[in-house]
Amino acid sequence: MAGLGVNRTTARELLQPEVLSRLKNLDLVARSVVEGFLIGLHRSPRFGFSQEFAEYRTYNEGDDPRFIDWNVFARSERMVIKRFLGETNSHLMLLLDASASMGFGGPPVTKLRYGQYLAASLAYLASRQHDAVGCMIFDEEVRDFRPPSSRAGKLQSVLHCIDAAEARTGTKFEKPFDKFHEQSIRRGLVAVISDFYCDIEHLFDAVRPLAWQGQDVVLFQVLDEQELNPEFNANVLLEDLETGQAVEVAPEFMRDDYPARMQAHIDNLSRAASGIGADHVLVNTRDSLDNALRNYLLFRQRRQ
Amino acid sequence: MSLLAPLFLAALAAIALPFWLHRLQTESSDRKPFSSAMLLETSEQRVHVRKKLKYFTLLALRVLVLALLAFAFARPLWTSPDALPGPAPEGTHVVMVDTSASMGRSGVFDRALALARDAIDTAPRGALLQVFGASADLREISALSSDRADHRAALGTLTADATRLDLGRAMATIDRLAASMPAPVTLHVISDLQDSGLPVRFSDLVGQNINALRTHGAAGDEAGNWSIDSLRTAAGAVDVVVTATGVGAANASVALTVNGTSAGERQASGPGTTTLRFDGLTLEPGDNRLRAELAAPDVLPIDNVRYHVLSNEPPAPIPLLTLDRGGLPVTYLSAALHADPRGAYRVAPAVIGDFDTRTLSRYRWVIVDDIGAIDATLETALDEFVSAGGGLLAFAGQRSASLTRMPLLGNEISGASIGLAADRFLSVGQVDTAHPLLADTAGWYAVNVSQTVPVRPATADQVLARLDNGDPFIIERRIGQGRMVLVAGGLENQWNDLPIRPVFVSFMIEAARYLSAVEQRQREFAAGELLPLAQAGAASGQVVDPDGDNVLSLADTTRAQRINLRKIGFYEVYTREGEYLVAVNTDPRESLLAPIEAATLERWEAAMSSAAAPRRETAVMEQQAPPYELWHVLLFILVLVLITESVLANAYLAPRTSGEST
Repeated sequence: MAGLGVNRTTARELLQPEVLSRLKNLDLVARSVVEGFLIGLHRSPRFGFSQEFAEYRTYNEGDDPRFIDWNVFARSERMVIKRFLGETNSHLMLLLDASASMGFGGPPVTKLRYGQYLAASLAYLASRQHDAVGCMIFDEEVRDFRPPSSRAGKLQSVLHCIDAAEARTGTKFEKPFDKFHEQSIRRGLVAVISDFYCDIEHLFDAVRPLAWQGQDVVLFQVLDEQELNPEFNANVLLEDLETGQAVEVAPEFMRDDYPARMQAHIDNLSRAASGIGADHVLVNTRDSLDNALRNYLLFRQRRQ
Repeated sequence: MSLLAPLFLAALAAIALPFWLHRLQTESSDRKPFSSAMLLETSEQRVHVRKKLKYFTLLALRVLVLALLAFAFARPLWTSPDALPGPAPEGTHVVMVDTSASMGRSGVFDRALALARDAIDTAPRGALLQVFGASADLREISALSSDRADHRAALGTLTADATRLDLGRAMATIDRLAASMPAPVTLHVISDLQDSGLPVRFSDLVGQNINALRTHGAAGDEAGNWSIDSLRTAAGAVDVVVTATGVGAANASVALTVNGTSAGERQASGPGTTTLRFDGLTLEPGDNRLRAELAAPDVLPIDNVRYHVLSNEPPAPIPLLTLDRGGLPVTYLSAALHADPRGAYRVAPAVIGDFDTRTLSRYRWVIVDDIGAIDATLETALDEFVSAGGGLLAFAGQRSASLTRMPLLGNEISGASIGLAADRFLSVGQVDTAHPLLADTAGWYAVNVSQTVPVRPATADQVLARLDNGDPFIIERRIGQGRMVLVAGGLENQWNDLPIRPVFVSFMIEAARYLSAVEQRQREFAAGELLPLAQAGAASGQVVDPDGDNVLSLADTTRAQRINLRKIGFYEVYTREGEYLVAVNTDPRESLLAPIEAATLERWEAAMSSAAAPRRETAVMEQQAPPYELWHVLLFILVLVLITESVLANAYLAPRTSGEST
């Protein structure tokens, strides 16, 4: 990877949201994130997320003939399949919340934009490992849907779908999860990217069937720094971006009570996710994306 | 504590403004978008309460600012409790100075003022004093206090006017005022003490609340007064009555002007009363101003002039609807109205068939010599005329005898009664002398009646006169706004001899006054009397005094009921009923300068001393020190509160301006 001519410091800078916000092309963002992430990733056979050779396997009927190693066939007239480390031949489904609350945050980026970076990076990373990638953009309704596919050119379709998402209306998890549950047959990874401002019981009523179906679910909870550690010096009237409800709060409340409430909410979400075997990753939009990718890979590793 | 302008307290309603603003303030914090209010719900109530408590001081200060401002404009007065005196041990001395017309004699009023100053100066130390001016009414000249300088200075405002002092009325008024003064009350009457000023009853001079009376005569030995007592008009001439008292054998010249033009000069000789006739006057239509002035050296000049209003209105035409313009009824009616000394009306005969009913609205009243002769068109027109407020005097002549129903009134007529009394004369047996139409008439019982049109009166009718057989002879009915009077007999001198009886003249004069609904206005007043502006039912208007000034303010032109006539001369009165002149003269009794006898004065003073009732000790406010106005104190407090409010508001505002989220 050093051949890319990018040193480690420069690669990490590429993962910073404020740097990525200057890139308009989501494809380029995803490519920069993944390459930068992989450059800085400590090489370990346990991770195995590069295209390094792992083993040969006898070709069985039904395998993709593109992966037959013709050199071995020429030497031994045996048809074998070349396998690489990290290649799992699974699929990844990205569920991106595009409700109005995701439009909050910044600078440099809103939660939705950060979620788009994350989703694009995950898609690129999975595509690089020949995983089938699909995506679903939702708020109260399913606004866009791309079924998982590993065909060439599919990645661009997925990235375009993610890039077109705009924050609006409220959030309902029931419909997107029901639709996904109806259409998914194969087991795979399901990455849900949202701020999860919802009733946790209702959320997991929707997620639980997927987990029982055998899907591996990871919940990326994207929150802004202003949500995690709000700073107000005077009374302020906060207006809910989704409902329009206005609540007047005192700085003392936002300093003392609100962080505790937020932490309790995060803990409840994490606890509930563990209860159904799902994974929960808290993402701060100020942080670089490598942390989220690393968590994803760790999760993926545990599933293999 | 009292308020000079309490209406400004209405501005206290503005206190609602800061309450409204503070209510808005709780809802007007900076609005910021936030991802979700899901975790914020429970903080709202607590914050709200804290905020209200936090701004309460600021709200209170703002309310205080507005309240102070309103109270400052209301101009509160504060009277120190130290200024409230207890009962005055030396009692009260009331000085009443006569300012009537007779005090205008040379030297008399100056002596009166000197006597008043003496009375003030000689009052016991510690006694309360008060000065009044008395003529047609009693006027407070200075407030009740022990400050002699104030009272002496107040005397300088007194002058003699043109009105009359009635000692009985003045004593009754001041006795009521004395009831609230610290006892004992001593009254100093400083006057020329005219005998003509005494009331009819001596008891009217004696009050119950005055403990002592001291009379101070200001009249000297002045003698010799000429006065014009009255102007009387008769048959185009004017008689001027001149009286001279105490002048010995002397002559005086009397000049009369009519509307500013000299109408001649006559010589009057005294002593005694002389009547001077001025004839051949040139009068203008309408009111004429007559002014008689006497040129003689005497002690009281104000009664040497007398004003009089002589009305010279041309007689107004009264339609007499008849079948024959040359008939006897026309002759009788014309003669009767011509005999009216006022000469207000003249008969204008009109043949019934030729009369233009559209002209009815020009007249106040109408005469019909035979109601039975009118046709349906005229009947309708007369009905509308009377309903609109007109008057109708109708006689039931021979044409009415053939009818079964009386026109306009609708009363049933019994034809069988015609000629019933042919074998003997009937007479008027019953007259309602309480009715204004017949109150000033006499001689009805001498009227002989041979035939009548027997009209059966309806319930709406008022029978003013009946024949001795009980049949109605004169009937009145109100129709709408007007009234109709029906005489159940003709004017041909055939059925009755009413037209040739003296009572017919007075009846027609009164009928003209009654049916025209014009009341006789009083044109001459004594100075100090009240002029009723609603004499003819129309209140207010405008009055211009002899100096040419408007007497009534703009507001009073619609609500004043009467005005006080204090100046002598001509007042011009403008009302909705028209304009007219009023002459105001000094009361002739002011010209009678004979003083009250000494014995009467002694009896009066003695009666006052013995009649005073035992007085309670009354705590009366001495109005010696003016109340203290507090508005400038309130404004000073207002400034302090405003500064405090500014500092406090700034303290609240400071964190808000830097309170942007980071």
